[in-house]
Amino acid sequence: MPLLIDRKPVTDDRWQLVEDAESLPASGDLLVPLALYLEHKDALTAQSGDIAVRVNGDDDLTPVLESLDSFPMIAVEFPAFRDGRGFSLARILRRAGFNGELRAVGNPARDQLGYMERCGFNAYEFSEEVYSDDFLKAFEEISVHYQGSADDPRPIYLQS
Amino acid sequence: MYIYNEVDQKIVDERVEQFRDQTRRFLAGELSDDEFLAVRLMNGLYIQRHAPMLRVAIPYGLISSPQLRKLGHIARKYDKGYGHFTTRTNIQFNWPKLEEVPDILAELAEVQMHAIQTSGNCIRNTTTDQFAGVTPDELEDPRPWCEIIRQWSTLHPEFAYLPRKFKIAVTGSPKDRAASQVHDIGLHLVKNDAGEVGFEVLVGGGLGRTPVIGKQIRPFIEKKDLLSYLEAILRVYNLKGRRDNKYKARIKILVEAMGIDAFRDEVEAEWANIRSSELVLTDAEIERVKGFFQPFEYDADAANDTSLQQKLDSDEAFRVWYERNTHNHKVPGYTAVVVSLKPQLEPAGDITDLQLEVVADLAEQYSFGQARSTHEQNLVLADVKNADLYAVWQKLAEHNMARPNINTLTDMIVCPGFDFCGLANAKTLNIAEQINRAFDDLDYLYDLGEIRLNMSGCINACGHHHIGAIGILGVDKKGEDWYQITIGGSDREDASLGKVLGKAVAADDVAETLKKLLETYVEVRTEEERFVDTVRRVGVAPFKEKVYAAAH
Repeated sequence: MPLLIDRKPVTDDRWQLVEDAESLPASGDLLVPLALYLEHKDALTAQSGDIAVRVNGDDDLTPVLESLDSFPMIAVEFPAFRDGRGFSLARILRRAGFNGELRAVGNPARDQLGYMERCGFNAYEFSEEVYSDDFLKAFEEISVHYQGSADDPRPIYLQS
Repeated sequence: MYIYNEVDQKIVDERVEQFRDQTRRFLAGELSDDEFLAVRLMNGLYIQRHAPMLRVAIPYGLISSPQLRKLGHIARKYDKGYGHFTTRTNIQFNWPKLEEVPDILAELAEVQMHAIQTSGNCIRNTTTDQFAGVTPDELEDPRPWCEIIRQWSTLHPEFAYLPRKFKIAVTGSPKDRAASQVHDIGLHLVKNDAGEVGFEVLVGGGLGRTPVIGKQIRPFIEKKDLLSYLEAILRVYNLKGRRDNKYKARIKILVEAMGIDAFRDEVEAEWANIRSSELVLTDAEIERVKGFFQPFEYDADAANDTSLQQKLDSDEAFRVWYERNTHNHKVPGYTAVVVSLKPQLEPAGDITDLQLEVVADLAEQYSFGQARSTHEQNLVLADVKNADLYAVWQKLAEHNMARPNINTLTDMIVCPGFDFCGLANAKTLNIAEQINRAFDDLDYLYDLGEIRLNMSGCINACGHHHIGAIGILGVDKKGEDWYQITIGGSDREDASLGKVLGKAVAADDVAETLKKLLETYVEVRTEEERFVDTVRRVGVAPFKEKVYAAAH
């Protein structure tokens, strides 16, 4: 699937999505939905690869916030175009000090990318059908902002 | 008023180009209907019954003469020569072409205007008292705070895809002229026990299908905490508000479901995280913004005018207008003028290109180049010298904007209804006309006193029918328009929701029904009692009896 990280197209994605407890791989870098992760935490942390979690607006983030350092990547799900909970989830994760890759999944829309970046996302995963390199322009359409953002929380009037 | 700097201008200019590209991609088939819907709504563009409708923001209702002229130009060039003021103090154009909207936005940007967040599930235009800064009953001018909120909420990255739309009103006076209690957030400038001025915060008010009066979430927050507190409320709402049913997605439903205490606890917990963050407003920033709303250089000699009294004594029509359509100004010798957009036989809130230019000229000549739009769909010239009132009145009268009916029955709030709106179930404009024809006698209207009559063409309540002393809601029954009437609502500091009178009445019977309501009022009222007070005292029953008894 097309993937942008730090505003650049990336071809190989090291993360393998696992959605089913029956087929937990014994190794590899795995992306696991939060509920599944919590259920099989011991088995997952025992395997050799890295573990990333996927969260959405229905999840209680507390267990993630308690062990932020253990995840090199957190994926935030956007289940529908108009579901904006992921923007707040990103803010909360960055505010808590998460420095790893924060990835928007579930088909983020081109016209949301600028907002997503300012909320703290730095990676975006799209379906083949919708993605085009035109998406890269989305980040710079609006170049000045009143509010602070994840990388600089100061509102415009505090920035020199 | 606030004047754009380079940053403000750049944001608006870039937003125009962004929307131009979004429109291009949509027309080229690269952007889905659903995605374009969301991005066009966030730029005020609806697809209506006949054509697209573009809603242009008038932040907290404040507008300059050049901006009014630009709106006149847009009405003429891109529309059918008129616009319509809304209860959010914005103006909407009913006939633009989709492909011309980017050009309209570019023209608006030339005069520091835009259509950003005039629709969509985001933070909408913040509204306030139309007499802000000039009314004697005010604690503090709310407009700098509206501007601070405008900047914070404009293109806010986190709150552009909320569960539903979000409306904020700010008042600076104990008299509420902004319907603040039926807003998602109502902010009241108040003094605490220590004598400091800050904000009382209400949350969870709203109209629509489930009308609710806002509840106090905090009796007082300090001014510097305004944005962090707002952000805490919005974040809790964004995460917890319902998204499965758009009719249950407003914050009022969340607050009702959680209970105000539990909701407050969530907000306080979130606030603790951000209360000391960069969201804390600095004194310098507050002063910077306040600097744009300093009092004008009023003429100290204005109070010595004697010509006004002479004109009032000699010209009956002028006196009647003066008594109805003006508001006291805190500076002696000045008066605030309400420009009535409620002429007898035109839709409430409509204004022609020529009228826009006339108001622009009057503002420039007599009112420091500024006007305000009101949530009752009128305009205000807030700073007119008493000696100039006669000239202003004559010009307004010449252009059909001096009907002396402010705060009377015919100063109706009316949504465009089925004639224009894709959501409406019933027509409103024909009913407003019927009422205007039936209540043409000014002396009778004045005897009835202050009555807020609000009408909506559907349950979404754009015409604020729940908070009218008399509310009229158009409903569709088997293809026919019927009208449900409520009485006893108020949008003021004594805010209340109207109670249903009884079964809906047929379109032809609306004015006749109002007559019976008003006859009942006249029969049972005490001296000095407004219509709404009488309803509160005696209840709905006597009104109901009168209206429905005759029908059987």
